Amino acid sequence: MFEKFTEIITNYVDVLPEEVTEDSRFIEDLGFNSYDFMSFLGEIEQEFEIVVDESQVTNLQTVGDAMRYIASIKA
Amino acid sequence: MNKTTVKTLRDLYERAAALYGEGIFLKEKCGKDIVEKTFNDFKSDCHKLANYLLTEIGEKFHAAVIGPTSYAYLVSYFGSVSTGNPIVPLDAQLPCPDLCELLQRADISVFFYDTKYAPMIDAIKANCPDVKYYIPLQETEGSVSTEKIVSEYSEAETLPEIKEDNLAAIVYTSGTTGKSKGVMLTHGNLIDNTMCCDNESTPEETTMTVLPIHHVYCFTCDILLGLRYGTTICVNDSIMRIAMNLKLFQPTIILLVPMIAETILKQIKVASAAKPEIPPQMIAQAVFGGRLKGIYSGGAYLAPEIQNGYKELGIPMSQGYGMTECSPRITSSLFTDESFGDVGTIVKGCEVKIEDGEIVVKSPSVMKGYYKDPDATAEVLTADGWLHTGDLGYVENNHVFITGRKKNLIILSNGENVSPEEIENKFAGKDMVAEVMVYAEEGFITAEIFPNAEYFKDKSTDEINAEISELIKVINTTVTSAKTIRKIRIRNEEFDKTTSKKIKRQQTKQGDLI
Repeated sequence: MFEKFTEIITNYVDVLPEEVTEDSRFIEDLGFNSYDFMSFLGEIEQEFEIVVDESQVTNLQTVGDAMRYIASIKA
Repeated sequence: MNKTTVKTLRDLYERAAALYGEGIFLKEKCGKDIVEKTFNDFKSDCHKLANYLLTEIGEKFHAAVIGPTSYAYLVSYFGSVSTGNPIVPLDAQLPCPDLCELLQRADISVFFYDTKYAPMIDAIKANCPDVKYYIPLQETEGSVSTEKIVSEYSEAETLPEIKEDNLAAIVYTSGTTGKSKGVMLTHGNLIDNTMCCDNESTPEETTMTVLPIHHVYCFTCDILLGLRYGTTICVNDSIMRIAMNLKLFQPTIILLVPMIAETILKQIKVASAAKPEIPPQMIAQAVFGGRLKGIYSGGAYLAPEIQNGYKELGIPMSQGYGMTECSPRITSSLFTDESFGDVGTIVKGCEVKIEDGEIVVKSPSVMKGYYKDPDATAEVLTADGWLHTGDLGYVENNHVFITGRKKNLIILSNGENVSPEEIENKFAGKDMVAEVMVYAEEGFITAEIFPNAEYFKDKSTDEINAEISELIKVINTTVTSAKTIRKIRIRNEEFDKTTSKKIKRQQTKQGDLI
């Protein structure tokens, strides 16, 4: 899942794949703005065939947070 | 019914049914399907809902509605106001205690809610004893929902007479300072604003509505104009899915706020850089679904760089200016307008004058006042109907130019007045700065900056400070000495914002001075 996340992240912000870690924060470290971030989640929804609950979005601060959230929906 | 005989919101959708009947009023996603509703469906369903409310609840009530844009939301809104009673569209992002406070303050007894908000209902019931009727928008076991009402009820045979100056909506403004105020808009206000420009759309056009429906900008310019012109409205079901939905619905017109327009523009530029063999205009069209004719922008300051950026991509961008208190439009422009730097031309029926630098307006779109707040009303609305907008600006050849907000004015010890927005706007399009707020600190103009992490990746704090200092020097060459930025603070967190993403001016200063 991490590789797929990294691939999608690099389509939104100008970072190299090796710079992305599970601890990277979307806004502060990777440079997402709030609209980029929501678009990114939309793409994650399509990629993993899930529906993200918008009320949970504020809890998704880091790449790891988002991965764990997706895994919990798919479980 | 021609447009001059339309006096109320009910007249507007009845006229739409008469003129555009089986044309598609609205498309929305329902699971993997797209559901279409015609103008006739909409009229019939609104009349059914009105019948239910008048029969089961009574003649006099205040209703509220909360949720993202949906057909059921609009039927609840228009059906409710068709009974002659006002509705309060609530901001779905407000925390529960604030919602309860507004429900109480607005004297709500009937509450329509999208089932997304069902988890809050118990807390609202515990705190809002005056709310007697809870109506979910979508089918819910054990409840009478809007969807159930329109499938089981018949249309009202007669509906009460509604006058132009009857209250249609009480809209609570989020505001960057202070407690929110309930803007009272009449049927006449909203209809006047719907009719104040011409040639904006046709039944052949398709829009995709992406902005929050409780904002009067979205309500008037997406929904009411859609009903006036017979335009098909497609519902974007989440800000997460704009890119996907643009491809799905292929709108010809779209209403955006500058932040979204700017981000999409950046994405187009990134995609163009990655594929130089494809003309950028083609990439831009692909991003918007392939049929886009133009973008309307409103809600915040639109930097000319963004407007120019889209122009170069062959997508005209026009903008308007307004405020909730004015239903909302004061100015507007068409895609064919060529002027830059202004916020459009004054709409029909609106008078504008400048008093002490402030824009003051009078028009049939101007609100009745703030709900149960005569003091706040008297502060902005004169007895003869002039509304003080609080915006500073000037008018040239009927074009309005905005220079700042009166209440944010910085008054320096030498008596000079400085508008922080004027300085903040100098940072528009500067990639190294994500957010900026300008204020006076110990008598000096100070810029507090949240740097763009992406721009400064791998850079040390000293390097960031040095680059930003250089940028400030350049900006300072473009302003008069009174407006020179003397102090810089660099913060490492985003600014606190209102739910409409405007930076709150009343917040603690952060970051070290450099």
